Amino acid sequence: MNPSFQIHKNDWFAFLHKSSEEYNVYLPVRFNNHIEYEILQDEPENIALNIARPVTPLKTFLLPVKENVVINTSIHNKNIIIGVPSCDLHALDLLDKIYLDQKFIDDSYRINRENTILIGTDCLEIHENCHCISYNINPFPEINHDLSLVAVNGEIIISVNSGKGKKLFDELKSSFPVKEAEKMQIDKIQEKRKEIIIQLKKNNKSLPDYQKTGDLIQKSEDEIWERYARTCVSCGACTTICPTCTCFLLIDRPDFEKVRQVDACQFPGFEKIAAGEDPLKRKYVRFRNRYLCKYVWRPGQFSSIACTGCGRCIDSCIGNISKNEIFIEMAGDDG
Amino acid sequence: MSETKNNIYKPIKAKVDKVIQESPAIKSFVLIPEHEFSFKTGEFIELTLNGYGEAPFTPSSSPLEKKKIEVTVMKAGYVTDKIHALRPGNIVGIRGPFGRGYPLEKFYGKEVVILGGGCGFAPIRSLLYNLMAEKDNFKKVTLCYGAKTPEDCIYKPFVDELRKVDKFEIYRSVDKADETWEEKEGVVTVLLDDIKVDIPNSVAVVCGPPVMMKFGTFKLLEMGYPEEDIYLSMEKNMSCGLGKCGHCMLGKYFVCKDGPVFTYAEIKNEPGIWL
Repeated sequence: MNPSFQIHKNDWFAFLHKSSEEYNVYLPVRFNNHIEYEILQDEPENIALNIARPVTPLKTFLLPVKENVVINTSIHNKNIIIGVPSCDLHALDLLDKIYLDQKFIDDSYRINRENTILIGTDCLEIHENCHCISYNINPFPEINHDLSLVAVNGEIIISVNSGKGKKLFDELKSSFPVKEAEKMQIDKIQEKRKEIIIQLKKNNKSLPDYQKTGDLIQKSEDEIWERYARTCVSCGACTTICPTCTCFLLIDRPDFEKVRQVDACQFPGFEKIAAGEDPLKRKYVRFRNRYLCKYVWRPGQFSSIACTGCGRCIDSCIGNISKNEIFIEMAGDDG
Repeated sequence: MSETKNNIYKPIKAKVDKVIQESPAIKSFVLIPEHEFSFKTGEFIELTLNGYGEAPFTPSSSPLEKKKIEVTVMKAGYVTDKIHALRPGNIVGIRGPFGRGYPLEKFYGKEVVILGGGCGFAPIRSLLYNLMAEKDNFKKVTLCYGAKTPEDCIYKPFVDELRKVDKFEIYRSVDKADETWEEKEGVVTVLLDDIKVDIPNSVAVVCGPPVMMKFGTFKLLEMGYPEEDIYLSMEKNMSCGLGKCGHCMLGKYFVCKDGPVFTYAEIKNEPGIWL
């Protein structure tokens, strides 16, 4: 952990209220069984800190579902996003490589990225399908965050991880009492981290690692994909909810404007060419395409992983398809 | 290449200068961009119809020409139908150039064998302009071109000119000949039986419909061409041109950014290579 500081919860929220004059402050809020980012309003209720990942992936703040990318009419708000889980922070590696590629920078993404302060948090709770640990990602902020935050015993423990984060932290320090984190609190966090890691490992003990999964997919027979794709309805929930799926359609508008809109390889016709040929015509081929992309092609092209183990695609599948079941079955055959 | 300062999604405007009917289903469009536009042979552009749609084309004109750019378009779908309705004076948009074209310097000192089919002549014509302009750098250029019928053969005046250029040999075939046809009948790969080529000192370039690319490549391999000396110009649904939107994936490659020109060695194991 970077040097950590401690502030009382009430002071922290007072600071957030003050900051909401300048920023849209988003916080994770618990609704029944799921957690969603909500904008900070009067009195925070059901705010869920150090919880498992919210339903919505971070990408939606950076790449809106639909956006005019020629005249750029989007309002680029300044955002503070609190409670970003480690899986989503890791996903930014790939997104940054795609959208901030020096040769072709996507300005809208760049502005959104620059305008957003990311406050990562520990997942001291996990969901049933969380499996970051299988892909060497820890359930606490490691990279790509500006600040990190954990709530323990009515205190907020903060560490600074970037220049942008330091600026906000300095503002906090100038108006509220901030002290060095007590060792007791840090120890408590470290202890919780260990517990969570053990639990994640236990939950996913049969799941092959990232590299192995890629190898298994490449060696796999069509049969397994045909079988698992039977209940797939090509709805695209898995890609919509995925922190690293960002394929899009460019839609033409008058005055040579273009709208970038979310699209996905799971939708029929995604790769169809003018003459009519469509390499992804068959459903199971489309279904398999997503996993080849995540575990073989994106890592091959960008040297970044394209599945961070958030498990959202498993939660969201209306066909009850679990990718992890597929990989466990494949690994079983292999052994 | 593109300047990062500009909006990567915004086309520049171009005026349709001339429309040439090449065959019943194919037209060429000479465009005058609002400012100078350069591309390397084999790179492609996105042609935008204002408010309607966009499609990728590899220019068929000479890369040495900066004021005009020509695209050859087969009427095949939604956007190309609309392109075929363009008239001189209409304004279109262009973005690009994108991707990786033909690596001419790797062809230096060698014989270049070109296998083209149908509308696949378009990128090849741009390459041929380049080869003509630099013909001292190449030993020989052999063009084998095939179309369905004699009336489907495009660039007739260009082919007549090409026949007069030394070091250039031209062979053509049609799947179905008529009484006017004096050249070969059969699929384009039969032309490869007739040519004389020193394979170890040669490279092959293939561009055409997917099925022709497939059998053309297999024939070249059979003749003894190494996989890394066969250059394929791949057709995919390139949309953004920037390696982002994901529509043109060929395994780990973005055809728009890493291609459209690949050696067979690079992509032979990728799924969907022949669609």
